[in-house]
Amino acid sequence: MKATKKLKFSYQLPEKAPRIDTLLDDLMSVTPEIDPERAVLITESYKENESLPVIKKRAKALEKILKEMNIVIRDNELIVGNQTTKPRSSPIFPEFSNKWLLDEFDTLAERDGDRFLISEKTKETLKEVFDYWDQSTTNELATSLMTQEALEAMDAGVYTVGNYYFNGVGHVCVSYDEVLAEGFNGIIEKAKAAKKELSFGNPDDTPKRHFLDSVIITAEAVIEFAGRFAEEAEKLAEKTSDNKRKKELLEVAKNCRNVPANPASTFHEALQSFWFVQLVLQLESNGHSISPGRFDQYMYPYLKKDLDNNEITLEKAQELLDTLWVKFNDINKVRDQASTDAFGGYPMFQNLIVGGQTPGGQDATNLLSFMCLEATEHTKMPQPSISVRYWDKSPEEFMMKAAETTKEGLGMPAYYNDEVTIPSLTNRGLTLEDARDYCIIGCVEPQKMGKTEGWHDAAFFNMAKVLELALNDGKDPMQDYKQLGPKTGKASSFESFDEVMDAYKNQMEYFVELLIHSDNCVDSAHAERAPLPFLSSMVDDCIDEGKSVQNGGAHYNFTGPQGVGVANVGDSLAAVRKLVFEEKEISIEELENVLANNFDGHEALRQKLLNNAPKFGNDIDEVDELAREGALIYCKEVEKYENPRGGSFQPGLYPVSANVPLGAATGATPEGRLAGTPLADGVSPVGGRDQNGPTAAVNSVAKLDHHIASNGTLLNQKFHPSALEGENGSRNLNALIGSFFDQKGFHIQNNVVSGDVLREAQKNPDNYKNLVVRVAGYSAHFVSLDKSLQDDIISRTEQCF
Amino acid sequence: MFLKGCPLDCPWCSNPESKDKDPQIMFNPNLCIDCKKCIEICPNNAVDFNLRGRIVRDKCNLCMECVDHCYSKALSIEGIEGSVEELLFELNKDRIHYRRSNGGITFSGGEALYQSDFLLELLKGCKANGWHTTIETAGYYPKETLEKIIPWTDLFLYDIKMIDDGKHKKVIGVSNKRILANAKFAAASSADLVVRTPIIPGFNDDKESVSEIAEFALDLKGVKRIDILPYHRLGEDKYYGLGQKYQMKDIESPSNEKMEQIKELIIKKGIDCTIGGVE
Ligand code: SF4
Ligand code: SF4
Repeated sequence: MKATKKLKFSYQLPEKAPRIDTLLDDLMSVTPEIDPERAVLITESYKENESLPVIKKRAKALEKILKEMNIVIRDNELIVGNQTTKPRSSPIFPEFSNKWLLDEFDTLAERDGDRFLISEKTKETLKEVFDYWDQSTTNELATSLMTQEALEAMDAGVYTVGNYYFNGVGHVCVSYDEVLAEGFNGIIEKAKAAKKELSFGNPDDTPKRHFLDSVIITAEAVIEFAGRFAEEAEKLAEKTSDNKRKKELLEVAKNCRNVPANPASTFHEALQSFWFVQLVLQLESNGHSISPGRFDQYMYPYLKKDLDNNEITLEKAQELLDTLWVKFNDINKVRDQASTDAFGGYPMFQNLIVGGQTPGGQDATNLLSFMCLEATEHTKMPQPSISVRYWDKSPEEFMMKAAETTKEGLGMPAYYNDEVTIPSLTNRGLTLEDARDYCIIGCVEPQKMGKTEGWHDAAFFNMAKVLELALNDGKDPMQDYKQLGPKTGKASSFESFDEVMDAYKNQMEYFVELLIHSDNCVDSAHAERAPLPFLSSMVDDCIDEGKSVQNGGAHYNFTGPQGVGVANVGDSLAAVRKLVFEEKEISIEELENVLANNFDGHEALRQKLLNNAPKFGNDIDEVDELAREGALIYCKEVEKYENPRGGSFQPGLYPVSANVPLGAATGATPEGRLAGTPLADGVSPVGGRDQNGPTAAVNSVAKLDHHIASNGTLLNQKFHPSALEGENGSRNLNALIGSFFDQKGFHIQNNVVSGDVLREAQKNPDNYKNLVVRVAGYSAHFVSLDKSLQDDIISRTEQCF
Repeated sequence: MFLKGCPLDCPWCSNPESKDKDPQIMFNPNLCIDCKKCIEICPNNAVDFNLRGRIVRDKCNLCMECVDHCYSKALSIEGIEGSVEELLFELNKDRIHYRRSNGGITFSGGEALYQSDFLLELLKGCKANGWHTTIETAGYYPKETLEKIIPWTDLFLYDIKMIDDGKHKKVIGVSNKRILANAKFAAASSADLVVRTPIIPGFNDDKESVSEIAEFALDLKGVKRIDILPYHRLGEDKYYGLGQKYQMKDIESPSNEKMEQIKELIIKKGIDCTIGGVE
């Protein structure tokens, strides 16, 4: 047992309670399964309510699910609420898409990463359910809205809108604070009051009335749902002979009787109320990245009150928090093979952020900020995705605590820079107070909680592919030179570097416009077929406006597609400029030829491109400026456009792990990259090419314009544990983060694990089940990842100070 | 920053490429793609594929043709020539990191003092920018050389390997009298001083050698602590790449326990001690 930890912050954090490991063991001993229950219930509900408007159909369906699904209180739980009967299983959401699942029934349990067991009976049940949804999914509607050009560009891997194309949107942080303070009874009152304002004479008010009725239906349903857990707890309490457990269960029952219907009166109730919101959001739609946001801010008053009144001990509070952390890992979702390639490791991206500043601009760090980091150290699990907001006034002790957490090797916390995020959000129209109150959604996407429909994970856009097309007259070398983009000339027709850049710009304009079109089609499909009343009830100004977030009810509306391959584009442009046009070491015809043949028989030339031109990540202006320019061309193009919800597009620069599949669709590139190999991860340098140490790498990355990429950028650094040893190691890490942020970097995350350990884990996965790595914007169990993703992680440079 | 050139010849040196003050060609077999360009291009027939270091050093006139044509960088030059301005430009890139880490620039080698005039100009440039300066030295220089740079130096990392002069001479090839005298001088100056001792099995890992070093350090005015550095074999492959022999082949790195024992011993003598400089 570790000794009690001491903090200069004048309180001591308790050690881990024995209950936590028991809960974790129970959770991890089960292989995830496909659970058909939700799919059956929603289908029955739709059949019963065919005549209703879609918003009410959705409300009725959620109501039925919450009424009839099997509820379970797992052994030793203090906070209750299950998504599926067995832990970590996946419910099914046939209303978004389902054909892929049908096709993959037989491979789910066998595939390389993220396996799910599925019984023959479940297969039969689901087949029947899916019949009902044929042609009625959001996916099928979106496809029918899109033009042929857009579908072809997606096929070619120029971009993918895959996430929301096949799934619910998620990617939101709702007003947890409001539920804690007012309860769902408060929300019902608000909806009723709004209804009173409506007029029967106004035709616009009819859909509003249906929306508000739907809000009331779902709010009442979640209250009843909590009541079912109260009953179950009482039943279990009755049965158990263990007096201690009996007391716990009665406490659980008491909590579930009061919340989330009413305001939370204790810290324990606040946690329980929070969890019902978190859980039911998942059950309503299968979007991931439903993010708790600034948990240490809205939860702290409840903790403080209980501590001040001696209603709770710090030990008990930490234990409750730890059990909630375990709970976060009970939520799971099945994805298709392609998305599994892009988001390996069963990630749910429930981003929980601590520290930073208050809306008024003062430091916001508190006791709970520390306890949240401690809970991550205790549980050592990938969820929640824990993040730290950093600004110049972040306390030293807090940063040292965060460094300690980093050393656990979970790839967490991720760090975000207030000094970049706040101005970049005000530039997009947020008020200063709202911008200061930002949280992070999913991987790296900032938003103001409870007011935003950010559509943050709108697409991954392959900038390296655009460059490839720009060098091939708009034809795709990976598809027998099929014409995909405008005819901008073959590489061999270019007489200057400027002509290369012009072609890149022209192709970019064309494909970004297609991307926007695709995103907007998917957006409209969600509005038409899957508006979400429960979620909307906790986002301003939906109730006031009488419409769902999918119909534009949120106060702030954005769409955020990500550019992928910054470093590949920068390195390629630098190689072409230097070796072809400046030094004339390689002729443009020769380059065209070797790229077409994937460098076959020209390894020396490939080495020349790799080693004789500067590479992004080494603090060399010549190439860093081109990476910046290549990314800016994308960003400036994206921010021109608007979405159907009345908001604007805002670019991001991060790949989650889409750099692997997008790389697979991209031929050889001029910086020496072979066809089909992964693209660089986020704004990080290409793995292994940053050879001047971590400071040079962050200096290069900081030269990009992180303000314009307001949907987030992502820098992965990987450290050998020895680089971070002792207090000195923590200080070095914090100095690196600080100086990256001084130079206006946006985000940095740090893996602490040796390449040898990872290779060993690849060979003997059984011995490394617990090994957590940071994949891109999230942490996952290394052994659950696909082999190519594992290789990608191993090849990222290990940095040493 | 490593400055090339060193007057000593310690067999355990892990930066052999820094001993010689001229640029040298290093061969790394892991990067070689066997394209044979080096053989084709060499005007002096100095490339030999049977050699571990690839180049017949006495036939080679350092024309660098092979290096220029080795696109995979299996052949590379160790050491680049640069002006004071150029080097300051490179150092300036990390200025924000120096501020954040309360750190600055460490001049090492080889032997930092080997190119002392050049070093002096660099130090002045650093100080003009307000950067902290650290000099790693073995102190085998005339006192005047030290005197010259002290005003621009914040910290010395001062190598002391052995107090017994006989043993020092035998293994390192020179007497340590001047080294120890300079240590006293540097410690008494305005700069801070930390003693650094590489622990080499069979040479100075015994109680007596360590105690003597600790006692010597205790006598120094203004010394901050002793950093003991476990000998490691990281430099081994570089020796082969330079076409040189590695004399320490059979010597194992000292164990962690051994290092802890030595640290204990030094602390008992009344002076602070770290392993590898890590607190
Ligand atoms: S030129 Fe370089 S890569 Fe080619 S054979 Fe010689 S050493 Fe090897
Ligand atoms: S430097 Fe010149 S002489 Fe020496 S090996 Fe290379 S090509 Fe031959």
